[in-house]
Parts: sequence; structure tokens; C-alpha cells
Amino acid sequence: MSKLTLQFEGRLLKDYIVGAGLTIGRLPDNGVIIDNPAVSGHHARVVCEGDQIVLEDLHSTNGTWVNTQQVTRHALTHGDVILIGKHHLVFDRHAAADQNVPAMPSLGDTVYLDTNEHRALRATLEDARVQAERIAKERAVTKATARAGVLRVIAGDADAQEYDLTAQTSLIGRSSNAHVRLRGWFKPAIAVAIARSSDGYLATPMGGKPSLNHEPLTARHLLQEGDVLTVGGLALEFHWRAPQRTESAA
Amino acid sequence: MHLRVGAGSDRGRVRTMNEDAYMLRARDGLFLVCDGMGGAPAGEVASQMAVDAIDRQLHTNGSAESESAAERAEYLPQTRKLAAAVRWSNAFIYDQAQKDPRQSGMGTTVVGAWIHEHVASVAHVGDSRAYLCRGDRLEALTRDHSLGEVVRRAAARAGQEIDVPRARHDVLVRVLGREPDVDVDVSEVPMQPGDYLLLCSDGLTRMVPESVMASAIREQREPQRICDYLITAANGNGGADNITVVVVEVADRWWRRLMERRRRPAGRGEDVEAYAAV
Repeated sequence: MSKLTLQFEGRLLKDYIVGAGLTIGRLPDNGVIIDNPAVSGHHARVVCEGDQIVLEDLHSTNGTWVNTQQVTRHALTHGDVILIGKHHLVFDRHAAADQNVPAMPSLGDTVYLDTNEHRALRATLEDARVQAERIAKERAVTKATARAGVLRVIAGDADAQEYDLTAQTSLIGRSSNAHVRLRGWFKPAIAVAIARSSDGYLATPMGGKPSLNHEPLTARHLLQEGDVLTVGGLALEFHWRAPQRTESAA
Repeated sequence: MHLRVGAGSDRGRVRTMNEDAYMLRARDGLFLVCDGMGGAPAGEVASQMAVDAIDRQLHTNGSAESESAAERAEYLPQTRKLAAAVRWSNAFIYDQAQKDPRQSGMGTTVVGAWIHEHVASVAHVGDSRAYLCRGDRLEALTRDHSLGEVVRRAAARAGQEIDVPRARHDVLVRVLGREPDVDVDVSEVPMQPGDYLLLCSDGLTRMVPESVMASAIREQREPQRICDYLITAANGNGGADNITVVVVEVADRWWRRLMERRRRPAGRGEDVEAYAAV
């Protein structure tokens, strides 16, 4: 069962159960009556199509809006906010669905896991955690260590010949926080940020005019073996370090 | 770096009090949302205490002595400082709760973001969340410390089934102030002009689906309007809990902003030039 909640200036006015042919308008023969000059006599209606609930504008003078877009026909999804005149109607797909499902006792409550009832749960969780760690350890052995990337300086004047990308975020720029420091007054504080993720290394342009393989770097880019990043007079080549073998790899 | 900031907090439709707390230090690029718990006055005390303690700790020049060596190598200094401040606030609330029987059992969630040189450091404990909206995509930056999330992760990782009743999925496994020490999850996100960062309490995320959050950002554009819109939507869907939303937009260069001003609705959000003075 779905419902529409009528609101005006943040105040809750009334709930309406959505059924086929529910009409919205200013005149008293509508299902949802909004007595306001900005609302047309018969402004809009709701029809059911299969399992979809569709809102139709009935050629109203001031139009019907859903989530700030004007619509003539719109299949409603949970949480949609309909604007008619100055009234809001919020669509709730599953209002009071299935009365026999017990209401969640903690709905809206912030509850911490430490009452007696939760002690047992906690033990179960602890088991799960131990098991997860064991599995993670096994995987770590098969995958050797996580692969690490490195930036090699191929042109320009830098502090080092290569930079290991071990940190969560490695910055390139003039900033004192930067892993790869750029020297000079007109260099950007942060030119590129390289974020480490499970997929690899994601380079995000932040300032100046960094380029990648001689093309301007404008969007986020997942670094590939051999990519050349040119930034502030430095050319840096990305490589994967050969995975270090652990003794347990066999 | 130019930020535009909006924020709002609402009691909701069911609660008699607002136990959420938030803080904006836009000039420092620091933003916090806390959701207190523990009944009576203690919940709102805990959330406000956390906000104040973290703010205070970040403004003192204390070193982060509690960090591990691994953390030091992996994260930027500001991320470590933020994590240390959150851990410190945990100890502070815990001590207070031990001292004052009226406040025993109080706790709070926290999600905080500190934007420094275009990198946002995000730290969180509990089920208050951070999202990044870039282009059309809304990306969750945090994973709730709730039973439901533990169950989902265990299932995804190893096909493990943990039998937890559905009604218990919202129970938190980590909060500030309930134990002497706490693990803080941190991450770092490079921010580009046009990106939006959204921090919120569970009063929003339980009432409003992520698709609506994404479309609200896309269509409202202006941070304060986004906040107002989302709070109205959450209340419209029941407003079962306190709702707090903070939205930060990393604004473009001044000439782009000037052009944008014509094209998008005006709002009451605060415009600041942020420099990390902390």
C-alpha cells in the first residue's frame, strides 16, 4: 500500500492512501483537495499501470512538479516529492506495508550494542570476525602482498629518482604536504592527487595543467603501467613494483 | 579554495528533542555531524560534547601520540590529526559519563570532514554518513558501524551467514563515549571544483533513498537549498529521527561562479574562502 503525504510549508497536513484514480485539485470532488488559488480545479491524478503508480498532470495552469522537474506524466518512485502550487506531496511506496511484519522496535533509534540481549549477538560477531580474518590471511598468502606502484622521474629536477606510492593519498605539488614536491613560485599547491584504492591508483587533477601521455589530464584516471604524468616541469612514469615474494607464498 | 556551505538540523516528526549536533568551521574547512544517544538529556549532551571536544582538540597543537606507525605512513598529517581528535573526544566523553551518573551510558556517532588543500579527510564512528557527489554520481565515503553492515560485509566477503534478526540491523557496533578506546575509520578524498560533500545523520538516510539525495543535489545545486529540501523530504517520509544535513560545495573559479550565479537558484548558503588555519 502506498500513500501520499500532503505538506504545506513543512507542516504535515494529511495522509492519503494511493488508489487508482486518486485526483488532486482545488474542487471538492477531488480525492486530495488543495484549496489554493494556485491549484487548478482538477490539477493532476494518480493512475496505476501494472505495478507502477503514475502521476498525470491534467493540463493544469501552473503545472505539476516532481523533485523540482516539471512533469506531465511521471512514474512515482519512493520518496518522490510532488509540488502542486505551494503544497508538497511526498510519495511513500511502502507505507504501513504488511501490518503483520513487526514494526522495527529500533526505528529511528540510535542503539548501541551492549545490553544483555546483545551480548549473544556480540559473540556471534566475534566468531564471524575471527573467521573473516582467517580467510583474509589465506587470501593474502595466495595473492602475495598487495601490489604497490611507483613513480619514476624521467625528466626534470626532483628530490628523488623515484617515489613509492604507499600512502592512501600521494600529492604532487608545491605544498609541504606533497609527496612529490614541485619547486618554484608559480607551481600549484597541489597539482595532482593520487589516491590508492582496491582497483589501483586513481590520479585526480587538482590544479595547474597536468597532462597524461601528452594529453591534458582533466578527469580522474586509473593509472596504467607506463603512463607518463607531466606536471610542473616533471615527467613521471608510473610502474607497478614487482610483487615482493613472501616466504609463505609457496 | 572557495567553499559554499549549507547546513540544517531538524527534530523530525516523532522525537521531542533534537539530539543531533553539527558544527561548521567553514574557514578552516572543518565540518562535523554527531548523533547523540542515551536518553534523557544525555544524548544531546554527548553529541554537543563530541563536537566541542573535536574542535578544541584540533585547535590545540597537540601531537597525535595515539596513532599507530601504519597510520603514520599511510595518511596525510591532517587526516591523522582529525582521527586523533576523534579518539580524544571518545576518551573525554567516556570520562564524563563515568563521573556523572546522570550521563552514564551516553554516546554519540560522529562523521567529520576536514578539507585542506583540496583533499578532504573523512573520519567516522557509527552510522552518520559522508557522501561525495561528483557529476551525476553519489558515492558513499563511509560504511556504517552497524550490525546490518557487518552482516552484509561478512556475506560479501566469505559467503558467511550471520544470523541477526532484521530488526537488530540498525544496532551500532561502534560509537563514541561507550568504551575507553575506539577505532576511527578514516579516508581521504581529493576534491575538485563542482564536487559536493554531504554529511548527515541517520535521520536522513533512513527516510530518504540515495537516489533522491543525488537528484536533490543535481537539481537544487545550492548547498543551503539542498539541505532544506532533504530535511523536508525526510520529514515527509515520516521524520522518525532527528535529521541533520551539512552540504559543502567546492566552488569553481570566480569567473565561473559569476556565470553560474545567473543560471542557478539563489540560496542562503554561506560563501567562504577557506584556508586551513588550524
